[in-house]
Amino acid sequence: MKTNLNWKTPDFYKIVRRYTMELILVGMIIALSLFADGFATYTNLLGILRSAAITGVIAFGMTMTIIGGEIDLSVGSAIALSAVMTATLTGKIADAGILSLEYAVVAAMIVSLIIGAIIGFINGFIRTKFNMPSFIITLAMLNVLHGLASVISGGFPITTLPMWYNFIGAGRIGSVPVAVIWLLIVFAITSIVMNYSRFGREVYAVGGNPEAARLSGINVKGVKIIIMVVVQVMAAFAGIIFSALVMSGSSTFGRGREIDVISAVIIGGASLNGGIGKIRGTFMGIIFLGIVMNAMTLLGVDIFVQHIFRGLLILFAVLLYTVQNQKQLRTRK
Amino acid sequence: MSVLQVQNITKIFPGTVALDDVSITFESGRVNALVGKNGSGKSTLVKIINGAQPTTSGKILIDGEEMHFLGPKDAFNKSITTVYQELSLIPGWTVAENILMGRYKMKGKLIDWEKSYEMADEILNEMGIDMNSQEMVYKLSIWERQLLEIVKAVNHNPKVILLDEPTSSLTQKESQMLFKLVMELKKRDVVIIYITHRLQELWEIADTCTVLKDGKCTGNIEMKNATHKQILDLMFGDVVIKHRPKNLEPSDQVVLKVNNLTREPAFKNVSFELKKGEILGIAGMLGSGRTELLRAIFGADQFDRGEIIVEQENIKFPSPIKMKEMGLALTPEDRKNEGLIQVMSVKNNLCNASLKLLSRGIFINRKLEIEFANRQVENLQIKTPDINFQVTSLSGGNQQKIVIGNWLNTSPKVILFDEPSRGIDVDAKQQIFQIIWELSRKGISSILVSSELEELLEVCHRILIMRHGQITGVIRPEALKIDDLYSRCMGGNAF
Repeated sequence: MKTNLNWKTPDFYKIVRRYTMELILVGMIIALSLFADGFATYTNLLGILRSAAITGVIAFGMTMTIIGGEIDLSVGSAIALSAVMTATLTGKIADAGILSLEYAVVAAMIVSLIIGAIIGFINGFIRTKFNMPSFIITLAMLNVLHGLASVISGGFPITTLPMWYNFIGAGRIGSVPVAVIWLLIVFAITSIVMNYSRFGREVYAVGGNPEAARLSGINVKGVKIIIMVVVQVMAAFAGIIFSALVMSGSSTFGRGREIDVISAVIIGGASLNGGIGKIRGTFMGIIFLGIVMNAMTLLGVDIFVQHIFRGLLILFAVLLYTVQNQKQLRTRK
Repeated sequence: MSVLQVQNITKIFPGTVALDDVSITFESGRVNALVGKNGSGKSTLVKIINGAQPTTSGKILIDGEEMHFLGPKDAFNKSITTVYQELSLIPGWTVAENILMGRYKMKGKLIDWEKSYEMADEILNEMGIDMNSQEMVYKLSIWERQLLEIVKAVNHNPKVILLDEPTSSLTQKESQMLFKLVMELKKRDVVIIYITHRLQELWEIADTCTVLKDGKCTGNIEMKNATHKQILDLMFGDVVIKHRPKNLEPSDQVVLKVNNLTREPAFKNVSFELKKGEILGIAGMLGSGRTELLRAIFGADQFDRGEIIVEQENIKFPSPIKMKEMGLALTPEDRKNEGLIQVMSVKNNLCNASLKLLSRGIFINRKLEIEFANRQVENLQIKTPDINFQVTSLSGGNQQKIVIGNWLNTSPKVILFDEPSRGIDVDAKQQIFQIIWELSRKGISSILVSSELEELLEVCHRILIMRHGQITGVIRPEALKIDDLYSRCMGGNAF
């Protein structure tokens, strides 16, 4: 039997359980403000968000995919393809004299987003038509997209981009980086969709129990295709932000980025079994990862050692949720 | 010869006496059948013999020696084996691996596959089964797996083997193969207890028959002298049939018509009409094709041919989405895995089917959603702390009501109930029947499938009898007694 101290009321536990990640985050921010020089500055905090933007934009889409019981491992390569496509097409359209360089890039961006949607549709179609695990489909797609990006770019960075394009990735409105604004816009939209729209509820239902959802007359296949499309479009969008930031498109972009994205979603509390997860949680996950990486840099932790810590962080987060869930199950009995 | 004795066993569950001073003797070398309708205490007795549940009082003796089981595993180690309907085989293993279960022939530290397969072949041969021991189990058909299940059990040299409805999902021909194996078992020194729902099998396979009714042993007879009527009397005694409200009459308007609907091999040439406000029962044993029929009508599964006509419209490509639009609803047999989304709240589970109705544009109207959920919680008397509670923690009866409420929120015209009363307590059962009657009064038709045939007599206007995938008769509950209905469903010839 455990002894009940006064402050250990059930409400207290409830709050701790519900906001575990947030509490850890707050604790970490306080500790870092005290011990890491240069952490608690406006520029540094915005910098954290800025560097998390590319991962974050995809992570919000990936949250929908994972709640819906699917996954997309090809988002890293999709960044590369979208960046290369945008840069190459801009050059081609401008060379052909159809549009000036300034406008050609807009057309190129639209095409890149559409290509992203088509790739997502192909993933979703194979998933639902042949009942093949999305893990395998997108693992294959990871290679295909990377290969495509390499073929199109010929292996070299492409830099035929107009100056204003840089604004999308590196610009600022006031003191706020545009990339951060993109992150917040995508956060707001996905948040509203998942919390208030019918489609959002259907994603939860489909991920929670596809058969029950189907028998409730929910279009399970349609929902699955859409979530596969959404994450790819987000990846294409992230590819555009990335290429705008560095003003080029290269097939080396985004390699391994899918790991960061999925880590953020999982640290945010989404279950790979589907049906469970929150956009808000993923936002926490993104900031969490961002802060940890930033802090380690500020504290002068060796780059290789940083990888070890990042890995342990994911392990720890998932362990926390697993233990909590098991406890909940036990108390229910 | 081995003897299993069950002496003065009593088992009390909170609120009910499941077994009341039951004493039976089972001998080896014969097939001892154990029969009784649902709720007779049959499965409780099985669980007590195989150690899954402790007795309240009474003794179990094997060859005169009193046994105490700590659990199923302990009972298994003390040579009591149960072969369940749900299969315990590992599909990704070969036949030999499943039979030997780790007890392979070894060559030093490595498995000697050649010798192991030989050993498995020998075991199969001994029992007269023609099966390739190197075949993967997932490639076997259901009856082959059932045989393999028995072979595996016997290979542990049990003293007692309990066969729990081994033929329930087999066709008659397949059952014959299984009987051959059971006959083979009789030659061994093992007590065979054979539990079945199919009465006509008794004369083919059983030597003795023990009948349970309401927790009491009502008879223990030799099969060679037994008649159908005798066994049915022991099973049912004098039955009083309860009635649905008298003033509940369906109209003449046909809402659903099914013509020659066929899906081989589950069901064949099924035709019927459902009137507005009618409660139509489908009586049939497990494996008679009743669940498959309901699922096909609702568009959950494909069918080969035939027509489904909802209010004069012939539905060419039924799907749950389409059928929901047409005003149909289905509460599935397996409510845990098919009816509910366990990770969701009561509220969300009550609104899954009606999301379209409570959305304005792409957004859910939250006020309306809460209204929809509260309405069902109130009307169906769902017991939950609040509507945001996760469904997993509710009782079976309340979960079933949520599945029904989910569909009532779509304002359906026809509800297909697949085993709505399975695994829920008596009170909840009565409440669910009450719901069905009230729906009928409002002009909503129901099709009710249940293995508890008494229920159908109690609830329905009309009952279709389904056997081996075909409708073999239509009856009115007033005109029939329960034992008669049972024998019609099971294919006996007592009438």
